[in-house]
Amino acid sequence: MKASNFVRFLRNGLFLVLVVSLVLILSCAGYTQQEVKVIRQTNTWPCYIDPAVGTDYTSTVALVNLYDSLVFPNPDGSMKPWLAKSWTVSGDELAYTFELVPGVKFHNGDELTADDVVFSLERIMAIGEGYGYLFTMNVKGAKALEKYKVQFTLKKPFGPFLGALIRLYILNKNQVMANIQKDGQYGEFGDYGKGWLVAHDAGSGPYKVKEMKTQEYLLMEKFNDYWAGWENKDAPQYVKEIGTIEAVTVRTLMSRGELEITDQRQTSENFAALDQLPNVEVVSLVEGEVLNLMLNNKKSPTDDIHFRKALAYSIDYQQIIDKVFPGSKPVPGPVAFGTPGCNPNLKPYKLDLAKAEEEIKQSPYYGKLDQYPIDIIWPGGTKDREKVALMVQANAAKLGIKVNVVKMTWPAICDIMSKLKTTPHGVLISVNPHYAEAGSMLESRYHSISCGTWFQGEWLQNPEIDAMIEDAISTIDQKERFQKYYVIQEKIAELCPSIWINESAVRQAYRSDYVVFPAAEAVKQGKLYNPNGGYNFYYRDFKVTSEKAQPPYTPFKP
Amino acid sequence: MKFGSFLLKRLLLSIFVIFGLSIVIFIIARVVPGDPARMALGPRAPEEVVQRLRQEMYLDKPLPKQYFYWIRGVLSGDFGRSLVTKRAVSEDIKEYLPATVELAIFAGILMVIFGILLGTLAARYKDTWVDNLIRILSYFGVAIPAFVAAIIFMLLFGYYWPILPVLGRLSPGISYPTRITGLLTLDSLIQRNFVAFWDAFKHLILPSVALSLAHIFQDARINRSAMVDNMRKDFLSAERGYGIPERVIMFKYLLKPSLIPTVSMMGMEFANIFANAFLVEMIFNWPGLSRYGINAMMSKDLVAISTVFVVFGAIFMVMNIIVDITLAFLDPRIRLRTSRGI
Repeated sequence: MKASNFVRFLRNGLFLVLVVSLVLILSCAGYTQQEVKVIRQTNTWPCYIDPAVGTDYTSTVALVNLYDSLVFPNPDGSMKPWLAKSWTVSGDELAYTFELVPGVKFHNGDELTADDVVFSLERIMAIGEGYGYLFTMNVKGAKALEKYKVQFTLKKPFGPFLGALIRLYILNKNQVMANIQKDGQYGEFGDYGKGWLVAHDAGSGPYKVKEMKTQEYLLMEKFNDYWAGWENKDAPQYVKEIGTIEAVTVRTLMSRGELEITDQRQTSENFAALDQLPNVEVVSLVEGEVLNLMLNNKKSPTDDIHFRKALAYSIDYQQIIDKVFPGSKPVPGPVAFGTPGCNPNLKPYKLDLAKAEEEIKQSPYYGKLDQYPIDIIWPGGTKDREKVALMVQANAAKLGIKVNVVKMTWPAICDIMSKLKTTPHGVLISVNPHYAEAGSMLESRYHSISCGTWFQGEWLQNPEIDAMIEDAISTIDQKERFQKYYVIQEKIAELCPSIWINESAVRQAYRSDYVVFPAAEAVKQGKLYNPNGGYNFYYRDFKVTSEKAQPPYTPFKP
Repeated sequence: MKFGSFLLKRLLLSIFVIFGLSIVIFIIARVVPGDPARMALGPRAPEEVVQRLRQEMYLDKPLPKQYFYWIRGVLSGDFGRSLVTKRAVSEDIKEYLPATVELAIFAGILMVIFGILLGTLAARYKDTWVDNLIRILSYFGVAIPAFVAAIIFMLLFGYYWPILPVLGRLSPGISYPTRITGLLTLDSLIQRNFVAFWDAFKHLILPSVALSLAHIFQDARINRSAMVDNMRKDFLSAERGYGIPERVIMFKYLLKPSLIPTVSMMGMEFANIFANAFLVEMIFNWPGLSRYGINAMMSKDLVAISTVFVVFGAIFMVMNIIVDITLAFLDPRIRLRTSRGI
């Protein structure tokens, strides 16, 4: 009796499981609906869509699409008129007067005027977060001369000012002020709308926020009344930035046709697997980000130039590029080749153990290297950098240099780098320029102002270099400014305060059967693409032809 | 009445425990290296802006004073502002806690049903192939961490046999029901939005099964063991002698006393589900409190860390009390003991 009861129980259970599965399958079955052009992209999280807050990659991509700036960057690094149709510069190079395009509409229908530009500048300077430093350091203020005319006054001549303006996103003053929390820290401006701008936008950009789920995704929809128009009829109607970079999730979504573009944080192994999926291509973009082994120039033994150069010559850069970061490129010095203002005559360091031996023998630490082991820190969550640290360790051992490879969390790294005493001998950190010019990297990386931040682990504190950087940045003429950048780069390369491992490749996998990704097309055709972070994801230029999508493809329901 | 006062005592004790927990977490969060103000504002933010934020967060004050300001805020409902989400922590808790609660409830339901069912079957068919199969599966099930199970399920049911959704709580195009409890399945049922209910339910399946798998098999083993022990007791022989059907003996007279150790375990496991959900939440992009807590820890978001731990501590306490009540219901000896004040 007992066995037959159990068999009956199993039979009933199996029947139930089959019914439930059938229901699930049928409920997941495809259905016809009007095709919606969409780009679904995974990205790191959180995403800050407040223009005065976000600077990370995900936030920058969102900001570039939700907002407009006065100028727009070209692929060659020059600026073209955008919200500002023209501008003049005063003789003393301290006043920039911009004529705005009339009739530009914000997403809520208000018209964009000079008052909004002034408000946006004052807001980002008062809040002081995000890209605010670009303006607090260099700009005195702005005023609206007329309804469509605004004048910026600088504290000192600032050569890359126009390039920096791509990070001044223009907000709707009236809309922000209508949504401030009055008990904020900015006096009459309350919280300056920070609370409201966590999940809303006050922009005029080609896309507007449809839905912001702060731990899940940002859904943007096309702004049909965009002032610059929609010549590209295949531009996506929706863009969804999904806050996950989990490898298995990304692969599953891509294989189900629920993703158009992946994030850049996938491992080499995952990109190789994604490349195998039908109709998926992996593209490598370089946007000026340099992976640095920052060496503490004030701590023995990395305070010695010969020790640093010996390390530099002992690294197999090509192997790192080939095995660890395929698609990345060699970098000649502190500035990557593709960044405007990079010195084209500098030669990257190469593996040369003979030269390394030569250098280490000139070091005062030679003969007692065992007494001076060095620590190389890599940030947790960046497995590929551990591989680099281990490769450095292996080759340094051939010179008798003992390297300890240490993993640390990012908060701990920021903490130890805030003081000279606790900054380790070496830290592997990537830095990218905030505006596409060598000056951004040189100032961030080697001016004394960045000592004590994670931008600079070298503690270079070289007054001559500081003065050269300040002089170059205040040079208005671009040719002259770039010449000054070249000299600074030569000087820094000579001092070898850091080891420049490579120019990071930003790899993304995407559906090439129905998505035209402009930067990817430029790479295939050997053309330039935008070196400014975020602008390679200016979705207005993308083309999505869902009707050409090959299986697997899951339509998007807005 | 005595049982009621016992529960009241437990409740008051729990408040002290949470208070103590908040102090410990508060201190630990602040001694871990890292300047949260500088991390939140970025390396290029002017020093005066960073200093302003430090003052706003009372980081320039001694630790006891910092705690005092924080607890004062908590008691008035102000948990502070998150450095990661840039908004009030209370808003974050309100948004993310229901997502984790919903996941935990479903995982808990699976744990209870299948844990007891499998344990009962294994005990009923002791030393047969049924028992052996369940025991072997239990060894595997207990050994597999939740995140590994999540990845396996995603591969099986999201990739090879894509019948279930793998991302978030609702599919695109399905409107969120008006928020009542924050539990999407419940809210959509209340509003009779069956489309949203079914979609939300489907999204719950993979993460809740992944979360509950190890616990199901752990509870099955404990339940089986307890039932096998009780099977040897004399009262069962007496019941069989009276001609009571085997099924009734199993599910009424044997199961109830055998559940005591199982229920104790389930209570703790249910509370553990909350704390351990973060990897599953990350894999399925589930916007839950566990994931929020981990992100807060990685960013040294002090007020968020303290608040999340206090919330989880409170959940543990509540679960403890529920377990005590359930055990008292199951075991009259416990009720009598507490009534006599023993």
